[in-house]
Parts: sequence; structure tokens; C-alpha cells
Amino acid sequence: MRNVWVVATNTFREAVRDRVLYNLVFFALLMMGAAILVGQISIGIEESVIVSLGLSAISVIGIFIAVFIGVGLVSKEMDKRTLYALLAKPVQRWEFLLGKFGGLVMTLTVNTAAMAVGLYAALWTVKHPLERSDWYLLVAVYLILLKLALIVALAMLFSCFTTPFLAILFTLGLYFAGLFAEDLRTMQAISLTPETMKLFRGISYLLPNFENFNVMGVVAHGRSVPATLVWQDTGYAILYAAIVLAGAAMIFSRRNLK
Amino acid sequence: MKLRQMAGLLLAVLLLGGFAGVWKLQTRIDQEKRSVFVEQDELALRSGPLLKKLSLEYAPLVGAIYWTRVVQYFGEKHRLHQKNLDLMWPMLDIATTLDPNLLPAYRFGSIFLSDRPPRGQGRPDLAVKLLERGIAANPDHWRLYQDLGNVYYFDVKDYPKAAAAYEEGSKNPKALIWMKVMAAKISAEGESPETSYFLWQQVYDSTTDPAIKFNAEEHLKLMKVQLDIKEINRAADEFGKQTGHRATRIGELVQAGLLKFAPRDPLGYPYVLGEGGKAELNLDSPMLEKELMESRPPN
Repeated sequence: MRNVWVVATNTFREAVRDRVLYNLVFFALLMMGAAILVGQISIGIEESVIVSLGLSAISVIGIFIAVFIGVGLVSKEMDKRTLYALLAKPVQRWEFLLGKFGGLVMTLTVNTAAMAVGLYAALWTVKHPLERSDWYLLVAVYLILLKLALIVALAMLFSCFTTPFLAILFTLGLYFAGLFAEDLRTMQAISLTPETMKLFRGISYLLPNFENFNVMGVVAHGRSVPATLVWQDTGYAILYAAIVLAGAAMIFSRRNLK
Repeated sequence: MKLRQMAGLLLAVLLLGGFAGVWKLQTRIDQEKRSVFVEQDELALRSGPLLKKLSLEYAPLVGAIYWTRVVQYFGEKHRLHQKNLDLMWPMLDIATTLDPNLLPAYRFGSIFLSDRPPRGQGRPDLAVKLLERGIAANPDHWRLYQDLGNVYYFDVKDYPKAAAAYEEGSKNPKALIWMKVMAAKISAEGESPETSYFLWQQVYDSTTDPAIKFNAEEHLKLMKVQLDIKEINRAADEFGKQTGHRATRIGELVQAGLLKFAPRDPLGYPYVLGEGGKAELNLDSPMLEKELMESRPPN
């Protein structure tokens, strides 16, 4: 596990050096603008807009980082040929992959935590003192982070066997499909045969259900998220990411790097 | 070096001049277009469920944006004194479909829909539909019952339904005690200026939004006029009984001790006694126009 940790911390350092955290400036400007503007152009939704805008921005910025950096984690090392030097040392390929995954998740955690602080600062400008219900936001932020970790795993899986461009397309495609997984399950159509509906139902369980992690609408209105749901979502993300990373490790370990 | 500086300066001047020209030309084009095209309200997508799907996981944010659009649409129409508020319902429908917990959209949206023109669209039926949807999605929020009761009371004038709405809302443990009192009072008496004044006072006290506060304040002023006139007429009737003739000036009622002082309307103009000794608003008072607007039959 030491090897994994070394790769992870190096990946984190590299991301910071690559100015990945610069997006925080954009986020800060967005939140400041929203805090000033919303109260003047709308009625009664200052808090909920700050919350839903902040959470949406955390999610969108996180997805961009997870997809674009996640896809480049392996391919960049191969292009720069630094991977060969690394694998010449006593580092297993799966350890390399897991370390890369851990490093980007670490980056996303720091990034998301900083944005959450910014979100609270913006919220504080329109409402102080903060209420107990405002702390439910942290649950939404945590679930967004789980979603991002899952996206990183998918991006790494695809980058193990295809070009970066296609890996981005596949990851984003699966993300969008995953948002509609529930609809696929509950779809009622007269023209579909029972067999086709069963097939769709099966596919819906195979797809990563990203709607599981969406509680923005709940916390934006100061409502709590059941603890059971948080545990279930955590379990789902860990299990799904583990399956995807195992698949990625399997493909990567068989890949001819010459 | 000097030549390069000159060239840079020239380029800056050209750019500035160019953009000034673009700006000037665009304002001319806008004016020209305004005279050619009649502006039409458009709403490209009217299906809330479809928009919800297209919003992916960000439906609450898009819902808030739509609600902001409703506020802007209403404000713009109000500013231009336009009565056509046809897009109000579709936009509220979309906003509340995208975010069924968007309470301000139900609460303020129902006021925009139900209030009589020019203050609102004059469609209390749609306001009732919106609030019933809001109650179904947020059954714990007793203020929505208050709003439903208000629409039935003020706009639909269906007092049994108004009383039923207040009664239903009063069952919520968080509801204020007056909800139950209102249910009983409206059920027994129907409409009265005192009840109307109290209900508008509740709207005034429960909102922090300046526009809604202003609207409630306008209604409160009209209600106060009704209450003042009722009080003056009561004193004038008493004066008639005591003296055998009707008073012609309010000063007579004060002198007789039937009124403590000569009341003034909310804008500071003294009331007058008109033909038959009945209290009226002063002809110089701007409240007169407001009252006439209020008392005219709906279109």
C-alpha cells in the first residue's frame, strides 16, 4: 500500500503544480456575483439559489476535472514515457492505477472542500447566523464527491484501452446515461415487449446511477437527508468504483506497453 | 520604436472608434427592429417534465432561474403597464415542476395570478391550481393553506372554501392560532372589512419582499378607508338619531363627541360627508382613484 500512497501523493502534487485548483477563483467570483445579484432580481429565493448554484458549480467543475484529468492520468504518463521508468521499479500496475485514482480523488476532495467553504461564505453574506439546516449542505457536498470519485474510476477505465478523446466521450456518455438509469427502469411504453422492458431494466442496474447522489433539491430547501441513504450511497460508490477499478487494473495489466 | 508606439496608439484608437461605431449601429438596429417587429412573448419549451429531464441533476437551479424569469416578466409587464400576463402560468408551471419545493413560486406566484389587473392576471382559478399543487408537494407548509384561503376569500369570494382552507391549515401544529379563528369567523360572517384588514396584515407581516409588502400595504390602505368610512357613518347615524338631522361636516361629529378627531385617509387627506351625510373620500385624494380601480367589476 506504500507504493499506492507514494503514487497518490505525487499525483496530487502534480495536479496542484498544473494549476488545477485555479478553478477556485472562478467559483469564488461566481458565488460573489450570485450573492450580490440574486436578491435584486428575484423574490424569496436568495438562499436556495446560492445553495443550488453553489452545489451545481461544485458538481460541474468537479465533473470537468474528474473527466479531463482522470482520462489523462494514464495516457499522459505513457505519452511522456514516465510510466516506463515507474514500472521498472517494484510497483505493480494495479498499484499505479490505484495510486493515480487516489491522487485525483485527493485533489477533488481539497478542491470540493475549498468550494464548500466558499459556498458557506456566500451563504453567510445573505443570511447570518447560519441555521442547523444549513449544515445539511455538507451531506450534498459529500455525495457530489462520491459521484466524482466514481467518474474518475470510469475515466481511468476507458483511458486504459482507448484514446483520450474517445475515453472522454465514453465517460461523459456513461455519465449522462447514468443520470437516466432510473427512467430506463421505470419506463412504461406500449410499443415495448415485456422482454425488451426486462432488458432495459437489467441495463438500468448495470449503469452507474448518478441520480443516487443528487440531493441538491432537498438541501436547497433546508431539508435533511436520511442517514441510511448516505450510507447506502457510500456503499454503492465504493462497490461500483471497486468493480470499475478492478476492470481497469485487469485491462491495464494485460496491455502491451511497448 | 517611435513608429511602433504610434502604430499601437493608432490601433487602440481604431479599436475604440470601431467599437463605438458598433455600439451606435446596434442601437439604431434595435430601434429599427422595434418599429418593424411587434414584440411577442415567447416560451420555447412549455413542457415542465421535458425541461426537468433536460436539466439533468440541476433541475432545482433551473427552477430557480425560471422563477426569477417569472419575477422579471411580471416586473417588466408592470413597468410597461401591460395587462397581458399570458405567460405567467406556463412559467410558474415549469418552475414548480422543476422544483416542487420552490415555496416562493407558489406563495408569490399565486398573488401574481389571482390579483385583479393591473396588479395581477386576475386568474384566481390558476392561483388555486398552483396552490393545490404546492400543498400536495409540501403538505407541512401551513402558509400555503393561508394563501389558498386568501385566494378563495379575496378573489373567488367563496367563503366556505376559504374557511375550509384556513381550517385545514390550522391543523398543522406549527400554524398560528389565528388560522383557526379566521376559519370560524369567515364561516360565520363571510366577508367583512375587519377580516380583510387582518388577512392583509398577515400577508404584510409574513413577507420580507418589498414588492409583496408594497402590494399588501396598498390593500391595507384600501381596507383602512373602508373601516374609516364605516366608523364615520356609524357616528353620523348616531348624530342623526341624537339631533334629528344629518351632519353636513365631519367637524360636527367631533364636536358632538361621537368621533375623537377628524379622521384622515392613509394619504393624509380628510374625509368628507357627501350627499345624504354619508362619508366619502376627499375628491383631491389619490386614494379615490385607487378605490375606483378596486371597486370596478373585473373584465
